[in-house]
Amino acid sequence: MRTPDFDANGDASADVVIVGSGVVGAMMADQLVAKGHSVLVLEAGPRINRGQIVENWRNMPFQNRAGSDYQGLYPQSPLAPAPLYFPENNYVQQFGPSAGSFSQGYLRVVGGTTWHWAASCWRHLPVDMQMQSAYGVGRDWPISYEELEPYYCLAEEEMGVAGPHDPALQSPSERSRPYPMDMIPWNYGDIRFAEVVNPHGYRLVPIPQGRNVRPWQGRPACCGNNNCMPICPIGAMYNGIHHVESAEAKGAKVLAEAVVYKIDTNEENRITEVHWFDADKVSHKASGKMFVLACNALETPRLLLMAANERNPQGIANSTDQVGRYMMDHSGFHCTFMADEPLWTGRGPAQSSCMVGPRDGDFRSEYSSNKVILNNLSRVEAATTEALKQGLVGRALDDEIRRRTIYGVDLSISLEPLPNPNNRVTLSETRRDELGLPCPDIHYDVGEYVHKGAEASHRQLEFIGKLFGAAEFHITEDLNANNHIMGGTIMGADPRTSVVDGDCRTHDHPNLWLPGGGAMPSASVVNSTLTMVALGLKAADSVAKELGRGNA
Amino acid sequence: MIALQQSSAFGAFKQAAIISSVVLGIFSTSYSFAQTEPTQSEPASEQEALIEEGRYLAIASDCTACHTMPEGGEPFAGGYNIVSPLGDIRATNITPSTSAGIGNYTQEEFARALREGVRADGAYLYPAMPYTAYTQLTDEDVAALYAYFMHDVAPVDEQVTDTELPFPFNIRMSMAVWNALFLEEGPFEADPAQSDQVNRGAYLVNGPAHCSTCHTPRNMLMAERESQFLGGAYLEAWYAPNITSDDISGVGGWRDEELIQFLRTGHVEGKGQAGGQMAEAIENSFQYLTDDDISAIVAYLREVPAIRDEQQDQPAYAFGEAQNLEPTLRGTAEHDKIDSLDTGEKLFSGSCASCHQPSGGGSGQQYYPQLFNNTATGGKNAANLIAAIVYGIDREVGDEAFFMPHFSKGSMINELSNDDVAAISNYVLQQYGNPALEVTSADVAKAREGGEKPLLARIQPFIIWIMLAIAVLLAALVIWLIVRHCSKRRKRTVRA
Repeated sequence: MRTPDFDANGDASADVVIVGSGVVGAMMADQLVAKGHSVLVLEAGPRINRGQIVENWRNMPFQNRAGSDYQGLYPQSPLAPAPLYFPENNYVQQFGPSAGSFSQGYLRVVGGTTWHWAASCWRHLPVDMQMQSAYGVGRDWPISYEELEPYYCLAEEEMGVAGPHDPALQSPSERSRPYPMDMIPWNYGDIRFAEVVNPHGYRLVPIPQGRNVRPWQGRPACCGNNNCMPICPIGAMYNGIHHVESAEAKGAKVLAEAVVYKIDTNEENRITEVHWFDADKVSHKASGKMFVLACNALETPRLLLMAANERNPQGIANSTDQVGRYMMDHSGFHCTFMADEPLWTGRGPAQSSCMVGPRDGDFRSEYSSNKVILNNLSRVEAATTEALKQGLVGRALDDEIRRRTIYGVDLSISLEPLPNPNNRVTLSETRRDELGLPCPDIHYDVGEYVHKGAEASHRQLEFIGKLFGAAEFHITEDLNANNHIMGGTIMGADPRTSVVDGDCRTHDHPNLWLPGGGAMPSASVVNSTLTMVALGLKAADSVAKELGRGNA
Repeated sequence: MIALQQSSAFGAFKQAAIISSVVLGIFSTSYSFAQTEPTQSEPASEQEALIEEGRYLAIASDCTACHTMPEGGEPFAGGYNIVSPLGDIRATNITPSTSAGIGNYTQEEFARALREGVRADGAYLYPAMPYTAYTQLTDEDVAALYAYFMHDVAPVDEQVTDTELPFPFNIRMSMAVWNALFLEEGPFEADPAQSDQVNRGAYLVNGPAHCSTCHTPRNMLMAERESQFLGGAYLEAWYAPNITSDDISGVGGWRDEELIQFLRTGHVEGKGQAGGQMAEAIENSFQYLTDDDISAIVAYLREVPAIRDEQQDQPAYAFGEAQNLEPTLRGTAEHDKIDSLDTGEKLFSGSCASCHQPSGGGSGQQYYPQLFNNTATGGKNAANLIAAIVYGIDREVGDEAFFMPHFSKGSMINELSNDDVAAISNYVLQQYGNPALEVTSADVAKAREGGEKPLLARIQPFIIWIMLAIAVLLAALVIWLIVRHCSKRRKRTVRA
């Protein structure tokens, strides 16, 4: 078992230094330490404890819970802030026509943001990776679906994904290996909804999920706490912390509250060291042979930009001014209504089924595709809020809460953005964090492509509403963020228009990889985590190959 | 039983045939074994029946628990490390491989290993192999087991490395002395005063199922204490409870159906659930036994002399009731804390109550069991409560997997410190279990290390010094005797 070395000052050296301990960093650490390399993981945020988060959630005021405050219950290191919205801490300031649509929730803690997620583990469609060739919009990936496919399989196996074995229910069905587990069984609401909408081409299918109905590698079976967001109270849902634990058991060292802020390069522009501040604001450095920044698509460009040095005055990996550009998220909206029959959503995991009929088609040359999640989070909080507004009390209040809970429908719609170089993360000139490091700014405009896609989606939803005899049919007006942060270190074959290659390796620095959502040249409409992980696993292979070559 | 007798006759015939074939072979090298192999002349159905009987006995004897590596090991290929207080004992390959397993064993050699703890090469087995129980196996059953292992188990030619215990336990000959002292050789003899059912139960409990291996406490030399038969014993971090007929300390208060259900599924609502090695025994063995055999085991347990612990005045399952302190917790802390779980109650709420519920009542259908009226929380010690937390529970019965994650280092849920586990345990004991018990951090640390070590294990590092000291003392005594003798003679000589 090889482990990193530390000297008396707390400086470290390892074969591989990974910044960020979320799902991508942790899984890469686990892969690389398993191959016999020493691995150091530096995480800006604190180490947290599931039981504490469960109790924090239970101690939250109703207004936070009803407002889906999934950030506020996660303690933050004072030196590594992350976005907060109750009240807003303005850590990430938004500018541009779609300011307000990029209010992302991400965590800076050991294990990363998959502490709170729906565990949806979608793959891109093969055509999603050829948007320019197929539809004349967006960008093509420099790698094919076939090249990424084995890593999708590995990612699903590592995360313990339950997905439909029936190819007719898969999206996409191009798979070389079956899902590790068959789909999580549907509840009544999923089944009934499919019966109603599927004859009309909406194609409600099971969501492939990183959770299990049988014990899986130390995780208990999901029992439907319906609390995936903000915290699975029993650890049945996959969390990045699982691979942190796994990597540590194999000898990886994970340092919490280690905020990386500076990156050294040598005359060949190889990375030689990264510097971090510990919890007492004391600076240390880590040297290594290979370096990985896996801090998500917003913090990675921020770090690259603020680590500008003499040789790389525009920032690390930024010789062609591409870092921070092409920021994307599946901007979306919600559609709520009261069905004319009880659907009893809210039993089982937070997300269970999804309409993928509008996921692809020739229309994509004109406007965004969409997917529609039949939100399965319990409607009790929304129902209660509405019932209270009516001024009801006593038995009448209870009855109304019950009625709204079982008849209520919430659909969550995601749209596909196109990569736009002007949608951009930059460093704030005015706001700084506790360490004096610049906070991120974002300029965002979802663009016509998304707006037109939203209009098309509205028409589809109105039709669905009619199928259910909808009352109180409502579509939210503003586009909301979906926390699927992509872009910022975009992948491409041409260094002039991209930051990393098909292995997520930077064009500028031969021993630096930037895996995860930042590299994705197209967003598709599906949740980005599985693709991020697949890219991380592909990058891990590339790192291992480079180490094997003795390039140190 | 008729089939068994026939099998036994067949077994004897087979041995005779093999012996004669060997003798014949001396005279005629062209006379091959295969031609005399009695399987060809034996009706296939009888041989199959014998093998089936052997398969059932191998399950009843839970051979697989030790001889098959968990999670996908080749059946009976050995290699599993049996953690014993005296050191790790490596389970052997008992497939019919002639190079790595027991393929060359004759039925007598096989029987001797099972019933006397002696291998074909004459080396003594350690009693981690429960030959002290298997000695009860009847000749018929040994023959059936032999047929099963030789003809139905796939040979695996992979050698298992030898067990290496520390001195002096590495001297296998010492087991000859131990056997002379403690091995009561069988086979089982029925008690004519008891019913067939009780006798069958006695045979199963004392023989193949080897219940006393875990449930009977051991003496200083690690032999079972007969006077405490099935009276309860520590087993690594777990406690195999008293299963004598006593109403309070034993299982006298359990109804027959409850004991049967427990052996079938490992769980009885309002009584308790199986963890640790008992979960394994149910998963590998008891769930597959016939209804008649399970009933026979229960009938026999009713006859086992009661052992009462005077400290106990109510059964382990009788303690506690639902209590929900949840409302007292809310509003006592901000919602963005990183380290506010400073009491057993709060820790319980964060790590346990999602499944076992704030009331301790478990889930509706008791997949997550209630914590009151539960032998793990109401027993005379808290070993199984602590062990369940630090090791978890893993039991597969039929198609269902019963799983509680562990809360030790590497937990996929949450690591809990020794202090945390102690605080949670004490909260659970106070609210739902035996409030007279108290768990300390040291208890939890000990459980993580595999439980209290027996005296013999604790003194092992000193045994060589003790033996040396005895040798020196003996030598000194001899020298003193010689010197005294010589000086007396000299005095006598002088006098003369």
